[in-house]
Amino acid sequence: MNAPLPKEPKPPLLLARGITKAFDRTQALAGADFELNEREIHGLLGANGAGKSTLSKIIAGHQSFDDGEITYRGYPIKLRSTRDALRIGIAIVMQETSLVPDLTVMENIFLPELGRSGWLDYGSMRKRGLELLASLGQADALPLDWEVRRLSSAQKQIVEIAKALGVRAKLIIFDEPTASLSPTEVDRLFDIMTRLRLSGRGLVFVSHRLEEVFTITDRVTVLREGRTVMNAKPTTSLNQAELIRAMVGAEIGAIYAAPHVMTSDVKAPVALEVRNLAAGAAVRDVSFTAHRGEILGLGGLVGAGRSECVEAIFGLRPRTGGTVLLDGKALRPENPRAAIRAGMGFVAEDRRTQNIVPDLTVKENLLLAYLGAHSGLGLGYAKCEKKVEQLLGRLGLPAHRLMDASMLNFSGGMQQKIIIARWLLLDPKVLVLDEPTKGVDIGTRASIYSMLRDIATDGVAVVVVSSDFEELLGLSDRVIVMSDGRSVADLPSAVLDEEKLTLLAAPRTSMARNTALLQDLTRENGGAGFWALIEDERVICLNAVVSDRGADPGFKAGEARILAETRIPRALRRRECIFVTEADATRATLLVPIRSPRGHDMGWVGLSLPNDHKMPPPEAIKFRIDTLAASL
Amino acid sequence: MTTRDMTKDSPPAGMDTKGPSMGRSLGRRLEVRMLVLALLIAVVLSFLSPFFLTRSNIFNMLDQSVVIGIVAVGMTFVILTGGIDLSVGSVAGLTGIILGLSLQHMSIPLAMLVAVAAGGGIGLLSGLLINLFGLAAFVVTLGIMAIGRSLAYIFSGQQSISTIPEAMQNIVYTNVFGIPSNVLFLLVLYALAWAYLTYTKGGRTIYAVGSNKEAARAAGLSTLFYSVLPYVLSGALAAVAATFSISQLLSADPLMGNAMELDAIAAVVIGGASLYGGRGSMIGTLIGVFIMVMIRNGLNLMGVSPFWQGSAIGTIIIVALLVERLVSSRVNR
Repeated sequence: MNAPLPKEPKPPLLLARGITKAFDRTQALAGADFELNEREIHGLLGANGAGKSTLSKIIAGHQSFDDGEITYRGYPIKLRSTRDALRIGIAIVMQETSLVPDLTVMENIFLPELGRSGWLDYGSMRKRGLELLASLGQADALPLDWEVRRLSSAQKQIVEIAKALGVRAKLIIFDEPTASLSPTEVDRLFDIMTRLRLSGRGLVFVSHRLEEVFTITDRVTVLREGRTVMNAKPTTSLNQAELIRAMVGAEIGAIYAAPHVMTSDVKAPVALEVRNLAAGAAVRDVSFTAHRGEILGLGGLVGAGRSECVEAIFGLRPRTGGTVLLDGKALRPENPRAAIRAGMGFVAEDRRTQNIVPDLTVKENLLLAYLGAHSGLGLGYAKCEKKVEQLLGRLGLPAHRLMDASMLNFSGGMQQKIIIARWLLLDPKVLVLDEPTKGVDIGTRASIYSMLRDIATDGVAVVVVSSDFEELLGLSDRVIVMSDGRSVADLPSAVLDEEKLTLLAAPRTSMARNTALLQDLTRENGGAGFWALIEDERVICLNAVVSDRGADPGFKAGEARILAETRIPRALRRRECIFVTEADATRATLLVPIRSPRGHDMGWVGLSLPNDHKMPPPEAIKFRIDTLAASL
Repeated sequence: MTTRDMTKDSPPAGMDTKGPSMGRSLGRRLEVRMLVLALLIAVVLSFLSPFFLTRSNIFNMLDQSVVIGIVAVGMTFVILTGGIDLSVGSVAGLTGIILGLSLQHMSIPLAMLVAVAAGGGIGLLSGLLINLFGLAAFVVTLGIMAIGRSLAYIFSGQQSISTIPEAMQNIVYTNVFGIPSNVLFLLVLYALAWAYLTYTKGGRTIYAVGSNKEAARAAGLSTLFYSVLPYVLSGALAAVAATFSISQLLSADPLMGNAMELDAIAAVVIGGASLYGGRGSMIGTLIGVFIMVMIRNGLNLMGVSPFWQGSAIGTIIIVALLVERLVSSRVNR
């Protein structure tokens, strides 16, 4: 481990050959190969249980391996601990961060130094901490004095990365780093990763999100059942289908169940209605309805308050305002039992800590909600025998495995299916799922999607919270977008794509300047200002300020409209920076395209004025909008 | 011995092979291992002292198991939920004094009822403080322990009460089918507790609460009720243990039950329960109680000084748990 480092490090940075590792009777790795160059981001892919986490942990010294060999910078190594790994420059950024929540950002960054003897020099630590954050381009984003418990998961990750740099890591493994990040946070992480690559480091990117793999990696290695089935292929030479085939060993069709039959016109009865829900600081004002037989998506960035919102609905979290109606009847706050009795099921976000009871068998876990709903002294398990049997068929779980002593031996996907089935035993009217595919591999995801689709088809209102926008759009019929604890949009998913969702979900703080602009425009000129996305024959309104009813464009923030249904179809079709008068001659509208400095199309800002109004010069308005856009 | 009958006891036919044969594959093995340990200790002791395996000594040991065994039932419930009850010893002392004083004014059954209700009430207080306000069980019951002992001294006027009616002895010295009534009570109590924990909604809820309270709450189980119930049981059973003890001695001492919580916790832990909750069983606890009593009895028979007995018992507990940990990690890897 203390091998002297060669003067001229030769590629590859790391070479692992024929690595095997067995836990108990399971062979986690059965001959895995892996190589990593300097200046490279290498994707390590595989379905759940393929061994990618095990391999990462072996490389990072968290676990030992049984057989095979690893060379690092040309020298064979056999690490006995993470400390060994850190000393030679190998670090891992884990999914569940290994930070100490009560210590400050700075103390966490230099945590490995606390293991050394001698005094700590806080002055030089602060200086180096600032340098490290600056090298990540995050100097202002993260106060060094904050306790880590105050940070968002994206910020924690940056601390982890800084910590790796603090020990001068040459090789950094990112284990599913994007799992809990919103799209903008993912972008920022990718910026950081690109910087690290430029500085000559070798990065391993463990993921099962294919789009991200294509975006960020140079080469890809795929593991399946503990073996390397695709070794270090350049990413550009691959397509998505090839990767999926390598990961699951077979073709899988479209992973989202049957395209939506648009049932939203024929409105089914409302099963769940949430009115002006508030719960502490995280949930301020959320309203929506969910109909029977539909899958309703609840989207937003991390920190938008989605999980808190559904927890407050189900009663796991105290409400501070608003009402929740299930089948028209108000639910008592802070009482999950009442919610369950009224017909609600809830699959919480964190399987291990919120759903699974580890000391009970699989069967008792499956029957847990049934046990809670069952009245009487005994268990009453015999009464639901038949239903359990049917469910097992649906889950693809052999009956004898019900007796397994622990759920934890199952894959994440099967665990999740059992937890979902837990609620199906109660015939819920509303089933709420928070991040139902978190930590579930791509093959099993598809079966969870079709399971949810089936549940909805049976007449259940399914509410799904997801930070994966692709999943949200692919799965749901309708999407409620949340931002800063408020529901800001309610749109059919057919009119949305990931980019539009990102714009809709933007934090209110970034919307504030836009709102200020619209307010200024309407104050000075009267009429109505709006910010909208326009596509073919449809407009999606992101923000609107109406000061003069007579100029109301016919849509509100968070709404989608067919152009013909608005009051300004002509202007919306022409999209020009002049005041276009409508056919009925009641109002005139001007539209200015808005582009971010990075060239992102951010839609249009418009100003509608009553026709009898004095029209301001279009150039002056365009100038102000462009000024705002340049600073976005 | 009865222990073996109970481990073999398969669930009633028809009712449940599908039900909660729960966590057993491992749990069973652990109980079996502890049973083997108990038998091993018995064999060793029978070689060291010819008197050990005599009928009278076996009954003597069963008799000695009663008080600690009753307290260990409540302790098992508490530990299964992930809690701890340090107050059982002083609650036994206090409720003993309450019983002694009550007997001066009322009939035996009524006095017993008062004492048990007082014990349950104290448990209710601890349970509510712990679960409503999120206080640490260790600290709350430590406080109750101090208060209980202090009240025992105050109520008794610092002296033992020896005005106990002789009729109380009937509770202990009546034989039913040749078995002393107190031993029979113990065995029935364990059977009931075992059946409750295995076959009822409440019992399974107690396991679920100890294993993952948040998940239990989200699944709609009554977590508050079943988190508090064990403390009520523990307090009430401490009073029952005090009743048996007083019946034997015909005297109520404010110092009674001193350090009893440690014996009870040791028995539960030796019986395989996890102090983090969710794991443990009545059968294991019963074996744990027998192991504790056998060791103490054996040391007495061999004439080991009482001052050395503490060291011996402490060492044996730690070594037993160490061996168990090594064996179980071998078995489960």
